[in-house]
Amino acid sequence: MSQDTKQTGVKRRDFLKVLGASSVAIATTACSEDAGHLIPYLVSPDQTVPGVSTYYSTTCRECSAACGIVAETRDGRAIKLEGNPEHPLNRGALCARGQSALQGLYNPDRLRSPMSKKGGVWTAITWDAAIAQLSAGLAANRPAAGGAVFINQHESGSFPHFLDAWLSGMGMPAHLSVDFEADSAAIEANRRSYGVSWPSLSFKDAKLIISFGADFLDGWGANVPQQLDFADARAKLDGAPRFVYIGPRRSLTGLNADEWIACKPGSELSIANALAGKGSVQQAGTDSGVDAAILQRLVTELGAAKPALVLSGVNGENALDVALAVAAINQASGAVGVTIKPAQPITAFDGMARTDQLLAAVERMRAGQVGIAFVRGTNPAYYLPGAAKFAEAFAKVPFKVSFSSQPDETTEMCDLVLPDLHSLESWGDAEPLRGTISLQQPVMDPVYPTNSTTLPAALGTADVLIQVAKKDAALAAKYTAADYRGWLIAGFSGGAQALAAALPKGIATGTLAPRVVAAAPTAPAKTTSIATTQGDFFLVTYASSLLGDGRGANKPWLQELPDPVTKICWSSWVEIHPETAQRLGVDRGDILEVKTANGTVRAPAFPYLGIHKDAIAIPFGQGHKASSKMAVFDPMHHDVNAVQWGYGRYARDLGINALDLVPVGTHAAGGFIWTATKASVTKTADHRVLPSTEGSARQHGRGIAQAVDAADLNKPAAGESESLPGDASHAFLPGLRAPVAADAQGELGSPTSADQGIKKGMYAPDDVRGMSKRRWAMTVDLARCTGCSACVTACNAENNIPTVGAFWQNATIFADARPGFNIERGREMNWIRLERYFEGNPDGKFGEDFETRFVPMMCQHCGNAPCEPVCPVYATYHAPDGLNVQVYNRCVGTRYCSNNCPYKVRYFNWFGYGETDRKQYAFPAPLHMQLNPDVTVRGKGVMEKCSFCVQRIREAENRAAAEHRELQPDEFTVACAQGCPSRAITFGDAADANWTVAQLASDKRAYHVFEELNTYTAVVYLKKVNHPAGGAAAPRA
Amino acid sequence: MQGVLGAFHEIDSAVHAVEDLKKQKIGDITVYTPTPRHEFEHALGHGPSKVRVFTLIFGLAGVTFGYWIPIWMSDYWPLVVGGKPIASWVPFTILGFEVMVLIGGLATVFAMFGFAGIPRLTMTVGYDARFSGGHFGVWVETDPDRVEDAMNILKKHGAEEVRRER
Amino acid sequence: MATTATPLPKDQRPNVPSALVRFPAVKDYEQVDREIAGTLGPSLGWFAALGIAILCLLIGATTWTYQIHEGLGAAGYQPPVMWGVYIITFVFWVGIGHAGTLISAILYLFRAGFRTSIYRLSEAMTVFAVMTAGLFPILHLGRPWKFFYLIPYPNWRLIWPNPKSPLVWDVFAILTYLTISSTFLYIGLIPDIAILRDREKNPIRKAILSQLALGWRNSDREWRHFTRAYLFLAAFATPLVLSVHSVVSFDFAMALTPGWHATIFPPYFVAGAIFSGIGMVFTIAIPLRKAFKLEHYITLNDLDAAAKLCLFTSCVVGLAYLTEFQVAWMSGNRFEQDYFWNRVFGQWAWAAWIMLICNMVLPMSLWSQKLRRNPKWLFILSLFINLGMWFERFVIVVPSLSHEFEPWQWGTYRPTWVDYGILLGSFGWFFMWFLLFIKQLPVMAMSEIKEVVPARMKHSHDRSMHVAEGIIHPDETGAH
Repeated sequence: MSQDTKQTGVKRRDFLKVLGASSVAIATTACSEDAGHLIPYLVSPDQTVPGVSTYYSTTCRECSAACGIVAETRDGRAIKLEGNPEHPLNRGALCARGQSALQGLYNPDRLRSPMSKKGGVWTAITWDAAIAQLSAGLAANRPAAGGAVFINQHESGSFPHFLDAWLSGMGMPAHLSVDFEADSAAIEANRRSYGVSWPSLSFKDAKLIISFGADFLDGWGANVPQQLDFADARAKLDGAPRFVYIGPRRSLTGLNADEWIACKPGSELSIANALAGKGSVQQAGTDSGVDAAILQRLVTELGAAKPALVLSGVNGENALDVALAVAAINQASGAVGVTIKPAQPITAFDGMARTDQLLAAVERMRAGQVGIAFVRGTNPAYYLPGAAKFAEAFAKVPFKVSFSSQPDETTEMCDLVLPDLHSLESWGDAEPLRGTISLQQPVMDPVYPTNSTTLPAALGTADVLIQVAKKDAALAAKYTAADYRGWLIAGFSGGAQALAAALPKGIATGTLAPRVVAAAPTAPAKTTSIATTQGDFFLVTYASSLLGDGRGANKPWLQELPDPVTKICWSSWVEIHPETAQRLGVDRGDILEVKTANGTVRAPAFPYLGIHKDAIAIPFGQGHKASSKMAVFDPMHHDVNAVQWGYGRYARDLGINALDLVPVGTHAAGGFIWTATKASVTKTADHRVLPSTEGSARQHGRGIAQAVDAADLNKPAAGESESLPGDASHAFLPGLRAPVAADAQGELGSPTSADQGIKKGMYAPDDVRGMSKRRWAMTVDLARCTGCSACVTACNAENNIPTVGAFWQNATIFADARPGFNIERGREMNWIRLERYFEGNPDGKFGEDFETRFVPMMCQHCGNAPCEPVCPVYATYHAPDGLNVQVYNRCVGTRYCSNNCPYKVRYFNWFGYGETDRKQYAFPAPLHMQLNPDVTVRGKGVMEKCSFCVQRIREAENRAAAEHRELQPDEFTVACAQGCPSRAITFGDAADANWTVAQLASDKRAYHVFEELNTYTAVVYLKKVNHPAGGAAAPRA
Repeated sequence: MQGVLGAFHEIDSAVHAVEDLKKQKIGDITVYTPTPRHEFEHALGHGPSKVRVFTLIFGLAGVTFGYWIPIWMSDYWPLVVGGKPIASWVPFTILGFEVMVLIGGLATVFAMFGFAGIPRLTMTVGYDARFSGGHFGVWVETDPDRVEDAMNILKKHGAEEVRRER
Repeated sequence: MATTATPLPKDQRPNVPSALVRFPAVKDYEQVDREIAGTLGPSLGWFAALGIAILCLLIGATTWTYQIHEGLGAAGYQPPVMWGVYIITFVFWVGIGHAGTLISAILYLFRAGFRTSIYRLSEAMTVFAVMTAGLFPILHLGRPWKFFYLIPYPNWRLIWPNPKSPLVWDVFAILTYLTISSTFLYIGLIPDIAILRDREKNPIRKAILSQLALGWRNSDREWRHFTRAYLFLAAFATPLVLSVHSVVSFDFAMALTPGWHATIFPPYFVAGAIFSGIGMVFTIAIPLRKAFKLEHYITLNDLDAAAKLCLFTSCVVGLAYLTEFQVAWMSGNRFEQDYFWNRVFGQWAWAAWIMLICNMVLPMSLWSQKLRRNPKWLFILSLFINLGMWFERFVIVVPSLSHEFEPWQWGTYRPTWVDYGILLGSFGWFFMWFLLFIKQLPVMAMSEIKEVVPARMKHSHDRSMHVAEGIIHPDETGAH
């Protein structure tokens, strides 16, 4: 770890920003931002070379799965997170949430120091004082300690054991390890059927995949490994399994299915029984409202396809029954051991507490039996439905301590906060797979050190507990180690040396003590049958795949990232079927009032083909509220210490909380019932433009996202793109392979060209820079792409892309301050966007199936780039290695290039997003510490776009040059390709046949978007492959 | 040399006076008219203006320069845009044309200034404010001994006022 | 003997010109000077108008300052609509800037008599319109303080603009046009300034005017070269007019964008420019001839003739509109077809129909001579034409960008108060200059009008005899 004092660290970073900025940042950031004194190291800390990245492998803690990550740090600041290729769980991939951990680390609303509440007023205190208060509080409330409650964000690894040991030492019961998103029903069923809480799933070995609402691409289970494996399965093209999704709402997972069977909520059980042969298909048809013929076909399909993989993620009252029925089908079809592998269990969910246990604890609080309550990293005050009256119960606890590093709703009710270190600042471990220990180490010094003479600079919760224990005569003996790190080393087989040896890889073999499995609930907690509730529509609520149980809401990357399904950001919405919407006279964006017995919310309507016509769906994760008054908010972020209660400045008062509508209920497995009530919907007079990046959801036959049926795959026609006006046959390949980028006609391209221009400077084939040999290109395999949008976040992190949706970034004196206002105006800045096109069912009829195609769209780096000749100042021109270059410092902002770009992938800096003294500043301290020093922070009034991560290309080239060798094929890759959990994106030199990209570009599925425009793009798309039922033709563009 | 200035109120008398002076070859004549009138051109019989030569020469120079600018620029800083040739003459024709008009046009104006002898710092002798209004003026420069004849001719043809200057 | 030049009282003035007599109500040179130079004294109404113009200008200037500080986001841009009100208004003013040179140069070459009385004010209009238009390319930049990057000047960075870019062509075309048209205006003014100089009593003003007149003396020598130079300048200005708006149209025609990518654009734009220019001439000349009591100079015949030109250009423009649709229809290009459908019957129908009605339908009224000779109607119509031509540019710029190749990026556009403030400011800027002009310099070319006004004769026989003798020619307009 590098030794940065906060003082020099930040300043030097600014220096590097300027250093790394070969461009407009000098003009803008330098003049607007005080670079301060540039103090070089006198003695450089270990492993730190200025301007050179250091990489630390550690473990992701954003969800329970615990993927392995590699943190890129530059001069003591983590600047990017990528998957750890060595890690057996995620094999180098990382989801958007995982990558956004950085914005938790650098969140402007992180608590700077411990705080204590006196008479309802929060005051910052020193760490020593805080620990003293904690000990005092513990001592004072010891009598009631028996009823103490410690609610911890669920995690695997040693910490839970450490915590329980500490608690028992204090005479307190074991802690509650809560993961509100986890599917208890599936876990319970897994335990009963397979004996493990979560078996590894192998999609690629299946012949048929049937999912009952199991959103294995939206965060159900271990997201990343499932997505990787699913993509591998799809990559088998005509050998790939057909995927049928059954459920009332078509989630991202559902959109990746070949067929959607829209059943009534709650009717999954009878369908599952029908599939299992335990019930009649007719009965299932009547229960679910699905045409019996379709179900019959499914039954036969399932019978024929062995092994199949059937999953259940149902979260209704009969969730456990469905999960068990599904497990029975798998066992019957011999899937166990083939597609379901209990032998390789994923231990992420071991020892997880169920919602009914949490509710029981809440009741104990209400009954006044709890003297001390702790919360760490979890936020029950937000995610427990209003009906649970958590606040009221929690208030009854005399001494409430929070270890959260964020000002969340629960913390706000506590008496004392000792902000925990971020997982990237602290030691730890996890056991994601049985037998694999994933190590967690600090990748940098804490952003906010303790500033204490008596205490270490980095003080995590575990360290605090040790400090407290040391003060306690009885316990002191047990804690010999100075801190949690010492405690870990002591417990690590092989001790310090072994740990040091294992850290670079980030994993070690070995097994931690098994976690206590919570006993199954004897009787299900109070449940209200959905049938008995009032309302015209089933209310489907679901945890947003980006915001999870709400913990992502204060991360601008996740707020700005359009929801993969609806493409809406910075807002809540109500999904309603177009047919229903038409019946109610509801248009996109009309504010609907949704009412249940438990509450009423108002949110804009989003007519969505993928929702059952008798149901509406509302995502969960927004609608954070603060009970206390918000600290005076200054958009210029001058007062960096202002605590933004209500989950921070980005989340506060944004959208609505869907669970305000839902009654408290747990199903037979003790899990929370998300689909628990009906709701009535009334249209209000209000309307708002949805902050959505979606223009038209249809391609209008323009062949942007092309697909081919598995059956046609090997017919010669499959090689040609769908017929288009002025269809140009595959003329692009010469363009793509030409040795020089400026090449479309070939005349300029060929090194022997008579053109005087290319004989000059770097265009000369024998030029020292030798760039002319190369043609950087990219392939995107639509058969693999699931539309998860992780690539977008990877790009944001790599290229310092500003987020523009926060309400204070709207900016002009007369523009209204609405979150997402800039998005409504189409001013999003993401260099790569995921287009989601619907095919088929043009009239939006319910019951008629439709297909979804996802297309990652980034700058196509055309050989004949239309944007280049129109630029009056050469701000965009063609580099000899095929890159379409954008020179920020030369750009005057005529925006002509964007007008002339058929792909519309150029983004303009409408405001000074990169200028500190502006309210639109996108990186309020300390978020700016994440900025990549290799990439300019763009200033006001310049155009920007995807650069093919030119900084990575040059870095690799320079490294090769420094080592006096040629660049090796596939030696490096770009951020989006690296981050893609589906491995859909491949980058490389198309002019050199040894690179993978060159081989993929000649695939028979290859096509170019708008090929007929003769732009000779460098991005080659590989057609999606559909698996229609019985090989019937799927709807076409 | 001495000069005589005659101011006429009627055009035909002025014309006749000029014709008469010409016939008698008395000195050289300058006519002031509020507006260009051909009567006097016929009477004085000067050849056409030489301005056009300059227009032609500088027009050609302009178009050459106008082509040279962009060709030199793109050749000096050769960046490939849109896969087009570095020096592509077709679009450069536009610049060529514009520069031709600019230089040719300005050259014409300055040539006119040169030939017409403006800008003129002093009004010198032999001008009367009336000549920009409604009157026609005839200015004759001749030997002192012929001044009288000139004045008589002007008077004869009905000059409102005849005066000697210098 | 010559008749003494006492003009009849206004009501008795015959004001119906004939082939021989262009200005029946104008008796002699003195009257020309008296009446035209008489318009120069500032009046209360003039000060009021100037005040309003300057106020609008200040509003515009303030708004722009705000926009520069805040960033272009202050304006209503909604990507993919990256160009909006500013480019629309730029093309609008450039278009207006075409009538002047057209009337003064092209009609001059064609010896069209009716230009004599209106060319001066339309030339002034041209110069000021181009001055206004010239602001917008700078004003719409993301970094306006870097506008000089577009100008090819030797610099230590050793970098140059891209001569392949239509925007650089614009720089050349607009600057050339501004230079030539203002030179043209000034050269034409010299003899008139000389007239003012000779009439002026106030020594200071006289001194200034003397400087401006460059010592012009109306000598035959001066006139000879002057008229010839004027002819060549006209001969240069004529193709220049046509080229400038062609170049402006290249800004669009050179792009791939559906609805822009069309070879018809140059003639289409030139016709549109002339059309809008004539419209603005009516808007300005008709109130002016009333306010300055110059109805007997800008006669009904002149208006009639100008109206015919207006009608003709309207037909050309209309034809261009229809041709666009026909081309899209026959192109078999789905992008073009979708776009044009969306333009006329979709999202932008309202704008498209404003354009079609104002520019195609209403001008058809000019087939009737009654209306052509009705100043009130011409004035009203001219307002509609100005509106329609602004919307023509709107329809070209916005719908194309909002409905391009990539459906995912289809969008819409809604200007903000910033756009409107700057639009208002541009009118303030234009009219400020124009108002200052009309009170400082004659709005009509006195010396040219004198060419067609009978010169006083000793032997008073009617003009027809002189015509027969070839002493004077009735519609003598040029110099030979």
